[in-house]
Amino acid sequence: MKFDTPITIALSKGRIFKQTLPLLSEAGIELRDDPETSRKLILDTNRPEVKIVLIRATDVPTYVQWGAADLGVTGKDVLVEHGGEGLYEPLDLEIARCRLMVAGFACARLGGHRLRIATKYVKAARDHFAAKGQQVEVIKLYGSMELAPLVGLSDLIVDLVESGNTLKANGLVPLEHIADISSRVVVNKAAWKMKHATVEALLEVLRGAVARRGEA
Amino acid sequence: MENRHWLLPEGIDEVLPPNALALERLRRALLDRYGSWGYELVSPPLIEYLESLLTGTGGDLDLKTFKLTDQLTGRTMGVRADITPQVARIDAHLLRAGHPTRLCYCGTVLNTRNDDFGGSRSPLQLGAELYGHAGVESELEILCLMLETLECAAIPEVYLDLGHVGIFRALTRQAGLTPPQEMALFDALQRKAIPEIEGLVAGFGAEAQSAAMLSALAGLSGGPEVLERARVSLSAAPEPAHEAIAQLEHLARQMSRRRPDVQVHFDLAELRGYHYHTGVVFAAYAPGLGTELARGGRYDDIGRVFGRARPACGFSADLKLLYRLGQSEVEHQGGIFAPACDEPGLVQRIRELREQGQRVVCALPGQEGDARAMGCGETLEKQGMEWIVAPVV
Repeated sequence: MKFDTPITIALSKGRIFKQTLPLLSEAGIELRDDPETSRKLILDTNRPEVKIVLIRATDVPTYVQWGAADLGVTGKDVLVEHGGEGLYEPLDLEIARCRLMVAGFACARLGGHRLRIATKYVKAARDHFAAKGQQVEVIKLYGSMELAPLVGLSDLIVDLVESGNTLKANGLVPLEHIADISSRVVVNKAAWKMKHATVEALLEVLRGAVARRGEA
Repeated sequence: MENRHWLLPEGIDEVLPPNALALERLRRALLDRYGSWGYELVSPPLIEYLESLLTGTGGDLDLKTFKLTDQLTGRTMGVRADITPQVARIDAHLLRAGHPTRLCYCGTVLNTRNDDFGGSRSPLQLGAELYGHAGVESELEILCLMLETLECAAIPEVYLDLGHVGIFRALTRQAGLTPPQEMALFDALQRKAIPEIEGLVAGFGAEAQSAAMLSALAGLSGGPEVLERARVSLSAAPEPAHEAIAQLEHLARQMSRRRPDVQVHFDLAELRGYHYHTGVVFAAYAPGLGTELARGGRYDDIGRVFGRARPACGFSADLKLLYRLGQSEVEHQGGIFAPACDEPGLVQRIRELREQGQRVVCALPGQEGDARAMGCGETLEKQGMEWIVAPVV
């Protein structure tokens, strides 16, 4: 495809990055730099108009919101925590799929009074229990949530579950489904208006790639 | 550093020399410009009873407003987070004119959260409102005034975004959505979350045709061809939606005639200020800023709660943001440095120079720093009986 205007795409290292690259290559965008060996944070592509910035997953909505990147790819979990203010999320890439779940010991009581919930996803956890009419204490952690119930830090956890193996290895089970998670394309509002033709053309290619992969 | 008394709260800023003067010059230039268009200046209070600030504006403004209790009456007061409702109150209750009323304002507002206006919680809100006319002509006037404002602030490249809340309103009414359904759809539309919108609409149980039109709305943004596409994909929409599209078309045609240089983008799913807007909505964008830098639209019923509903449209912007983004020149002032001396001849000469508009800085006995340090390129020197302005060597 043709790019009428320069465009900056924000991606995060890891699963999203690996699964997004084949989609971008359908739009004729190939990386020049190898992110595994390069320490550069702004990566060049074969298209001089297209730059890719590599940042932490949780920072993608912030970069895009303030226009530091025109668009980005981020998990729905990150978007929910961020609030999605000032962003468009027009396309579900259906990659990096997992589920946001309440988990704990198989015998844990889900309906207890003022349960302590350990999670990285504070907003999603609070919203989920509030929607059930339940007051809970949320404990913000940055990782290894599975540990919290084992050492008595919390009654339950709210975390992303992919295969469930980490839970199982720690004697925990998924108890309640909160949301299906996958990666979304997010677009800055101003970029949507001012670079509409380019953004729309890129989205169209990605939409086609997602649909074809779905059929395969 | 031990002492942190200098630290300002988050999102609260101040403007220093020489920018403060340049900002003030810009404020004066803009208010003069509005005056030349027939807009009269109003200066509403910083603080009011909360009900007056919030009536008819929806919940967003409530969360953004700082509140305190009036010690005299025990009532809750709010520090204005938006001047528009105050100006509406002035038009509806105090002026009560039968003819069109044009008002403009500039003042500091406070926001509890800085999710707007590029991060500031104390924007300097500037705007203009036109009451008493319900046609495209008044919208065109407000749009042109907004564009002139951006030019005056030396914003290099402006993109205009046009929408109309009437289309969404007509479609949700036709589909018979309940208020919670409407809010859920509104929220998803604001994020253009197309996969979610399709799921939501399918769950509403509306008839197939109106469901298809609700889903199509999110895709209706782009260049002028959008209005053509809207006519096709929304052909079964109720009359008010068609009227809205026709109004947009008319406004866009007038705009391109008046301002062929401005790039116009259409977005029929853009519902900025949906709770109080009733017609056209618009915003201006510029490269280098991820959010809109000026916004406005039609909000015909805003005066109703103050006793008089009449057509209204207007725009507003944060003057500090415009100044920061614009390429306004910061002029170097120069000045004349006068020695520390109370001789009557000198005092008289200084007064004359100041009356001529010169900047004269008087030295203080034993002060540190010379003419240059005080920003002066000239000094007053005594030659014979005369005090002469001479360049600093």
